[in-house]
Amino acid sequence: MGVEISTEKYLDMYRDMQRIRKFETALEREFKRGNVPGMLHIGLGQEATLAAIAHSLQLEDGLFPDHRCHGLLFLKGTPGEKIMAELFGKGTGICSGKGGSLHSADAAVNNFGDNSIEGSFMVTALGVALGWKMQGKNSLVAVMVGDGTSGRGEWHESLNMAKVWNLPILYCCVNNGYAISTPVGFSHATPDLVDFARGYHIPACQVDGNDLAAAFKATQDAVDYIHSGKGPYFIEYQTWRWQGLFSGEFRPPEEVKYWKEDHEPIKLARIELLSRGVAEERLAEIENSVESEINRWVEFAKHSPAPDPAKAAVNVYVGWEVEQP
Amino acid sequence: MTIMTTVQAINDALGLKMAEDPRVFVLGEDVGWMGGDFGVTRGLFDEFGGERVRDTPLSEAAIIGTAVGAALVGMRPVAEIMFADFIGECYDQMVNNAAKMHYMFDGQFKAPIVIRTACGAGFGGGPHHSQQVEGWFMNVPGIVMVAPTTPYDAKGLLISCIEDDNPIIFLEHKALYSKKGEVPEGRYSVPLRKANILREGADITIVTCMKMVYDSVTAAEELSKEGISVEVIDLRTLRPWDHETVLESVKKTGRVLVVNEAPKIGGLAADVSAVISEEAFHDLKAPIQRVCGMDVPIPFSLPLEKLILPDKEKVKAAARKVMQG
Repeated sequence: MGVEISTEKYLDMYRDMQRIRKFETALEREFKRGNVPGMLHIGLGQEATLAAIAHSLQLEDGLFPDHRCHGLLFLKGTPGEKIMAELFGKGTGICSGKGGSLHSADAAVNNFGDNSIEGSFMVTALGVALGWKMQGKNSLVAVMVGDGTSGRGEWHESLNMAKVWNLPILYCCVNNGYAISTPVGFSHATPDLVDFARGYHIPACQVDGNDLAAAFKATQDAVDYIHSGKGPYFIEYQTWRWQGLFSGEFRPPEEVKYWKEDHEPIKLARIELLSRGVAEERLAEIENSVESEINRWVEFAKHSPAPDPAKAAVNVYVGWEVEQP
Repeated sequence: MTIMTTVQAINDALGLKMAEDPRVFVLGEDVGWMGGDFGVTRGLFDEFGGERVRDTPLSEAAIIGTAVGAALVGMRPVAEIMFADFIGECYDQMVNNAAKMHYMFDGQFKAPIVIRTACGAGFGGGPHHSQQVEGWFMNVPGIVMVAPTTPYDAKGLLISCIEDDNPIIFLEHKALYSKKGEVPEGRYSVPLRKANILREGADITIVTCMKMVYDSVTAAEELSKEGISVEVIDLRTLRPWDHETVLESVKKTGRVLVVNEAPKIGGLAADVSAVISEEAFHDLKAPIQRVCGMDVPIPFSLPLEKLILPDKEKVKAAARKVMQG
């Protein structure tokens, strides 16, 4: 473990955990009201992992977000209202409503967007890292993947080539226990996903993804390792998603209780902050200000216009407008 | 002017672009010191080194993913997929990633990649080393398909492709690799999306590409002795193809053969026929005829292969048929 985390830093990350929690809660509410089209995947329960990653990346670092990390999209630097509007399918969204939750990119902050064929972009990340390396840049590329992704061919092609070419890639594997309904151990030769990385001779660690300090320190160590030019690094964040299936909760009650009550990431972070002498009022103040920030984003999205119909056939090709038959 | 084979002409274009633009690099299986399965990249490794002429493992998804990622950050990769049949392994990268990148992120990113690949039957390559894959991409907005016939076009089109900002599949028919023709030294380009009228005629328009151009031109010469005057159009860019040149010719001749080596159903020939039917139906003097491969996989045995592929004789038979109205 590296340097101790200052209370101010801890509070900053706590604020971002709250932003993720309240963003996803609001999103789920608006989805149920019919304001958010498509499919809903939310990162409730994974706030500590996501905040730890967000606080370890620089603006110039690349990010390939997955489908369950809306929080990272705004924590990377994109204005939150533009993310919310994108998820609402509005013209003011970061991709003008063409991408949605599963395809939100922002070139200005080096967010290369989700691909939503899960794991598919693991090989795209190779190219970004290789391109930057050939150009002499020292930025790294963070790739968000889940446990389910380890079944994909691209997962293995990416790990192999990242090692062969010694590329600056941080593989952030958010192991939340299930690929939709299928438990990790049921469908993979090992429940320890670090084993796959180690098999490709990539240094890897497992960390409690609900322990903010542990997740942050592990990520910092990985980032330092990559910046030293030694090549890729793999972290398995062990966490748990609150969202069940569309049909409801499918996991055993004792498992649900452990993750949602006993080992709940925001509760753990709160206990740590209170034990450091931070006043209850200060935490409440943070929670209230985050609440109104997220409400503003929701209002912005709700009151934004639908995309301009003229945009439907724009940007298919670069520099060519093709007559629509 | 120098006499070159198609292989030499493509090699010349690659060397020229790599020398003048440091963003251009080549990657693929055995493209390095060996110079590629067909010798297309021969000598580039010695001239430009392993950083810019990259051998990869048998990981087609990673080859295309790497190319896309590098293109996102400003590089100009030229990827080689050894045989077009192997595109099944990286179809997702091409269709869901490269082709959609510009649209789904509403213009924030572009993926200027060239994917060179060897296609085509006629040498006993069997079901997995012989296919024409243009039909696989006809329904994919965002993808460009280019297919040279002559060495002159091969060099000029490849230069245009490397300089274009779109993801481009560059189809190299194996039967054309050893064909010789005049190729200017140094830089020149052949425009994309512009068909080439190879032979003018008054009675029938043949719309074709790649190896079938040779079969069609020979058929046209022989048909002229029967008093049938045939115009032959080489599409060169297959998607999006040059409607204007084709429709103008059809309005003149009123009779059409669409000649394509790929299976007849649902492919390039189907689209060309459909557009002509929609746009020039009243100019037609006879039903459009498609002269294509049979709707079967490519068999290994040479007599069987010959049976299922279109050729000069089948073109001539179809020409006589449309002349009867």
